Amino acid sequence: MGKLERIAAQQDRAAGRGLSRRGFVSAAVGSSFLFGFARESKAAQTYPLGAPLPPPEFEPNIWCSVAPDGTINVNIIRAEMGQHIGTALARIIADEMEADWDKVKITYVDTDPKWGLMITGGSWSVWMTWDVFRQAGAAARTILVEEGAKLLGIPASACHARNGKVTGGSYSISFGDIVAKAKPTRSFTADQMKSLPLKPASERRLIGKPVKSLDIPSKTNGTAIYGIDAKIDGMVYGRPKMPPTRYGSKVVSVDDSEAKKVPGYIRYITLDDPSETVPGWIVVLAKTYPAAIRATDLLKVEWAAGKTAKVSEKQIQDRGRELIAKSDVGTMIFNDKGVDEAFKGAHRVLEQEYTCASVMHYQLEPMNAIAQLKNGTWEVHCGNQWQTLFLPVIAKALGVPEANVKMVSYLLGGGFGRRLNGDYAVPAALASKAIGGKPVKLILTRSDDMQFDSIRSPSVQKVRVALDEKNTIVGFEHHATAGWPTEVMAGAFMEKGVDGKPYDQFAIAGADSWYDFGTMRVRAISNDLAKETFRPGWLRSVSAGWTPWAQECFIDELAHDLGKDPVAFRLALLNGEGPEGRNKGKAPDSNGGALRQAAVVKRLAEKAGWGTSLPKDTGLGMATTFGQERGMPTWTAGAVQVHVDRATGVVTCQKIWLVLDAGTIVDPDGALAQTEGGALWGLSMALCEGSEIEDGVCRDRNLDTYTPLRMPDVPEMDIEFVDSTEKPMGLGEPGVTTIGAAIGNAIFNAVGIRLRHMPVRPEDVLAALKAKGAA
Amino acid sequence: MIKFKLNGRDVSLDVPEDTPLLWAIRDDLGLTGTKFGCGVGQCGACTVHVGGRATRSCVTPVSAIEGADVTTIEGLDPEGRHPLQDAWQEIQVPQCGYCQSGQIMQAASLLRDYPDPTDEDIDGVMGGSLCRCMTYIRIRKAIKEAAAAMKSARTEGDSSNG
Amino acid sequence: MIKRILTGVVGAGVVGGLGFLWYAWWPAIPKIAPVQPGQFSAEKIERGRIVAAESYCVECHTRQDGGTGPELAGDYRMQTPFGDIFSSNITPDPETGIGNWSEEALRRALHYGVSRDGSHLLPAFVYDHFTKMTDADISDLYAWIMTRPAVHMTHRPNGFPLSISPRITLAAWKLVFFTPGLYKQDPSHDAQWNRGAYLAEGAAHCGACHTPRNLAGAEKVANHEYDGGVVDGWIAPPLNQNNPTPVVWTEDELYQYLRNGVAPLHGPAGGPMSPVAHDFLATVPESDVHAIAYFFADKAHAAERVAGDKAAIAQAMTDSKKDLVGFSTDPDARLYQGACGACHYNAAPAPVLGRPELALNNALWLNEPTNLYLVMLRGLTAKEGQSGVAMPSFYNALSDHDMARLAAYLRRTRTTLPPWTDLEKKAADARKLVEEPPVNSSH
Ligand code: FES
Ligand code: FES
Repeated sequence: MGKLERIAAQQDRAAGRGLSRRGFVSAAVGSSFLFGFARESKAAQTYPLGAPLPPPEFEPNIWCSVAPDGTINVNIIRAEMGQHIGTALARIIADEMEADWDKVKITYVDTDPKWGLMITGGSWSVWMTWDVFRQAGAAARTILVEEGAKLLGIPASACHARNGKVTGGSYSISFGDIVAKAKPTRSFTADQMKSLPLKPASERRLIGKPVKSLDIPSKTNGTAIYGIDAKIDGMVYGRPKMPPTRYGSKVVSVDDSEAKKVPGYIRYITLDDPSETVPGWIVVLAKTYPAAIRATDLLKVEWAAGKTAKVSEKQIQDRGRELIAKSDVGTMIFNDKGVDEAFKGAHRVLEQEYTCASVMHYQLEPMNAIAQLKNGTWEVHCGNQWQTLFLPVIAKALGVPEANVKMVSYLLGGGFGRRLNGDYAVPAALASKAIGGKPVKLILTRSDDMQFDSIRSPSVQKVRVALDEKNTIVGFEHHATAGWPTEVMAGAFMEKGVDGKPYDQFAIAGADSWYDFGTMRVRAISNDLAKETFRPGWLRSVSAGWTPWAQECFIDELAHDLGKDPVAFRLALLNGEGPEGRNKGKAPDSNGGALRQAAVVKRLAEKAGWGTSLPKDTGLGMATTFGQERGMPTWTAGAVQVHVDRATGVVTCQKIWLVLDAGTIVDPDGALAQTEGGALWGLSMALCEGSEIEDGVCRDRNLDTYTPLRMPDVPEMDIEFVDSTEKPMGLGEPGVTTIGAAIGNAIFNAVGIRLRHMPVRPEDVLAALKAKGAA
Repeated sequence: MIKFKLNGRDVSLDVPEDTPLLWAIRDDLGLTGTKFGCGVGQCGACTVHVGGRATRSCVTPVSAIEGADVTTIEGLDPEGRHPLQDAWQEIQVPQCGYCQSGQIMQAASLLRDYPDPTDEDIDGVMGGSLCRCMTYIRIRKAIKEAAAAMKSARTEGDSSNG
Repeated sequence: MIKRILTGVVGAGVVGGLGFLWYAWWPAIPKIAPVQPGQFSAEKIERGRIVAAESYCVECHTRQDGGTGPELAGDYRMQTPFGDIFSSNITPDPETGIGNWSEEALRRALHYGVSRDGSHLLPAFVYDHFTKMTDADISDLYAWIMTRPAVHMTHRPNGFPLSISPRITLAAWKLVFFTPGLYKQDPSHDAQWNRGAYLAEGAAHCGACHTPRNLAGAEKVANHEYDGGVVDGWIAPPLNQNNPTPVVWTEDELYQYLRNGVAPLHGPAGGPMSPVAHDFLATVPESDVHAIAYFFADKAHAAERVAGDKAAIAQAMTDSKKDLVGFSTDPDARLYQGACGACHYNAAPAPVLGRPELALNNALWLNEPTNLYLVMLRGLTAKEGQSGVAMPSFYNALSDHDMARLAAYLRRTRTTLPPWTDLEKKAADARKLVEEPPVNSSH
């Protein structure tokens, strides 16, 4: 069982269902009562919007159906937040099924338990769905061919499906006609499903071919409906009034005499939250949102602040340093035999510390949710990335069984991991509860949204290497501290380290590299002060957005120290060996191992013209990593060309090159779009954005001080995917991973200074240049 | 009572004068294509046209548009086939799509002033429209494609007029 | 227009004790029976409408605060350091308006600043300009006023504390600062110039705002005529060669500004200037607006200075792009990019109408950031500045600190002038001038 299957199984067990996600798939097949459910799910968003409910259909499994008019519907349990995931996933089913793509529609479903684990993150969607959807498509195809053959009067063995038709000899019949005439009901057991023959890669007609994403037209004409666009008759508007600290603040007194003067003001509600998601929050209700905005501004609240009211980013980082210095804290992810000896006996030990600032999501749609009690069920309408995680939290907050809560999904105006944390749904639900279940639409203004964003935690990392007399690497250590999102929000899903202790894989992945260092120790440490001060979040590419900043800059430093070419140096380490051969890789996910990473590095060096000379103060730098997780690697190599202005310290990125091997690419244009966006996020986090904790909260509250990358900052980009028929990996995040370190390395190659804090700020560049001049 | 034209139709609104045009359009007039991003005039998600010019509706009070012509993404083209919208679909610009109404409205304004925009013009005018999904490369490309399409439509129009 | 010009009027009290009772005394002019509107020809009334428009009567004689009041019925609030005063009702209502005034009474009021009953009028009523109006124009004006609907309405009581007899104070003030007399043709100039001068100095009373005032609230016409003033907190920029914008105010720029409320190379008319263009000068004969523009272009020696415009525009087109094109990490530049750049970017050869070019805009080149701040805070409605388009209000969107950052940044990157000082405090001061946040947005 893979990691996610494990998560799914755990969740299902936790929910008392005792069925794995796969179990659900097979249990659902041919099960008549599910037809009712499936029909009801149509009430969720469909494309085109407002389309009438389809007539009775053939549903070979819960994932897809075929209507008598030939329309094929694919149910999508992933959140659409810009990855065009519905299109990519529907392509998988449609290809295997031999559907006519023009007839394919997608439906984003609600949170019926039958869908199993609902999470969209970690760049997992395609990778998680690949097998399930291919089997689902094969099941549908098999039945349609059988039924079609009967109707044509030709043996099934002489028929085949292609482009929405079943053909035998010179006769053919469309899928729609088969459904209309034969009304098929056949189903398969789980084992039968697994043994259905899948098409070979050479027979794929949709996967890997250009496609226009189904969600795009509505996103160009204003008809796309996001959470914030949802409307329920009779709803009132709410805005939260937030306490001075994320935890531990208590409301002392509230004075709404000024707020009462705002026309449309209804009341305020001091939330009582058994789930402890929003302690000390108040919600202000009004008839319109502008009235709620104004009244909230005017509401005077006195709080007794929690103990973190004065915490600063520096204190958090210093705490991280303290923790790293202690050898007995944290969890070992690798702790190879002999690593201590390697350091003890080393001829030379080099070490460096790297830090990264807090980063904010600034997903463009501010957090929002509508909650209401309808026919005994609590409905929560919002865009969310991890319904399975937050539905129980909402239930707890409301004090009702989970079965009485339903989440209805909408498009997400950006996720980037922010909406894996569903905290914003809780105040909406509690406010609705306070007014008897009437619908409340809660919207956070941007500064509300940023004050308690689930930020990417600031981090401290220490990297060390042990060298023998011949300057051969004999040992390597990578220690990383940060606030751990999974620990705070989804503790049950933490992995176990080699020492048996739990750890947050999203706060260390990327450090557990595929390099062969002889012996290696990788240690992840939860920063307790970070955890107490804010709610650490998952942010696009999670730790893989910052662990390479330490490791890949350090490898570069090391190469220069040893007088080696950084590309050649890395290639030598990417030998596919490592302790117990762990870098050889495993089928199907990491088939080929480190050698595939070496291949993308080689290709990148070629493309970027590695080794050619550049103008003064201009440098090329590269980095490589493996996407999100060791277990589902997207082999990635990135290079950037920067120019450093010695007078102002401004670093300009002129060009980015990326080479990625993500296995099979299902939707090439979508993959490219995700990677473009990811790379620019990487650039933005390296040069443009970055916040700080000040007095216990995020300093930046809007774009006047928080400055993500904009149009004029975009460099030239050259992105290439390796042609592959391996299992598809994720692409939502890997674009991010290498850019920061590549920039750090490029700055060194341009002007000879090493910066070890991200983002790179002009003042740091100037200071380093000055220090270098002085030295 | 504030009266103005919305997408060519006369509308009148009985809301406080300081109501941001954004919420009047979204909540009172029911057109949700215009988005709330920053609320402080710095992201462009709420961009509409007032008198044909791109305007940030989140910080524009309804009192300021009394008597004016307001166009939202829903009214940019009756069929949703403005050359920019076509180019946006052709080049598959949107990711999450949340910024795109604003991007398209801003771009339409750009093309009015600069029918053949240079990269600098695009940066200068579009730099205020944040796309958190970072679809910038495609936005740039689509603007150029739309500009070219509009130009050839104009020259065709000219020649058919003799 | 005349809103805060009364600063120092009380200072006139110092000359009040000089015994000018003889000077101060004017007889009452007898009341007349209500005038029959039918007695005026349509042509005369129309000519009167134009005179009224060129004098902006409606502007100061119609209530604006707490909803717009009935036209010409007065109660327009003018803030002074000594308290608020309210304009009088000039509709033909016999009891509360001027329905029982004869034409002569109106003429005397305009020419001498004396009410029908013989009392002196506050110089907020700019008879120092109206004194130049011809009898014929006043006669036409009378016809127009007397054919307006009568409104029975009294203004709120003045909060203007005059410790001594207003009659004596005002008489003394007049004696020192007021020179009655019709406009005198200047034979060294052509007819258009004289027409412009007659309007500008008379009915249109441009100097009331654009000439600085002394401590007693009188215009410093002798040495500082059209050097610029302050009105309602706004800076009324110099109308002479001291105007600091890099491109000169040519006749054409002035004409467009006065007629349409926007000059392509200077920007839109904001604040109290906006209604001058839209509500009044847009409704009068083009030739009169041309004449005013012609007159001021001459006053400012535009023709002699215009040679530098081409270079100034070219420079502005380069400056316009600063930090909007290419990568910049300057946080102030990024704030400008997010909040302002999309609308204010321009490229060679010249600014686009509707994209006010800040590098050329008056507001950036004045000695104080007031106008810049007031526009940021208030925005411009579709009725102000360029018609039909609006600038948002950044009242809630930008803190005083943010406004100061933008002001400093713009002054630094878009002008050649020394930096403004005390910017954050001045931002707070400007904010106080805007009574209500124009838009209910939140940070
Ligand atoms: S929401 Fe209006 S500019 Fe951001
Ligand atoms: S497409 Fe998501 S913010 Fe632009």
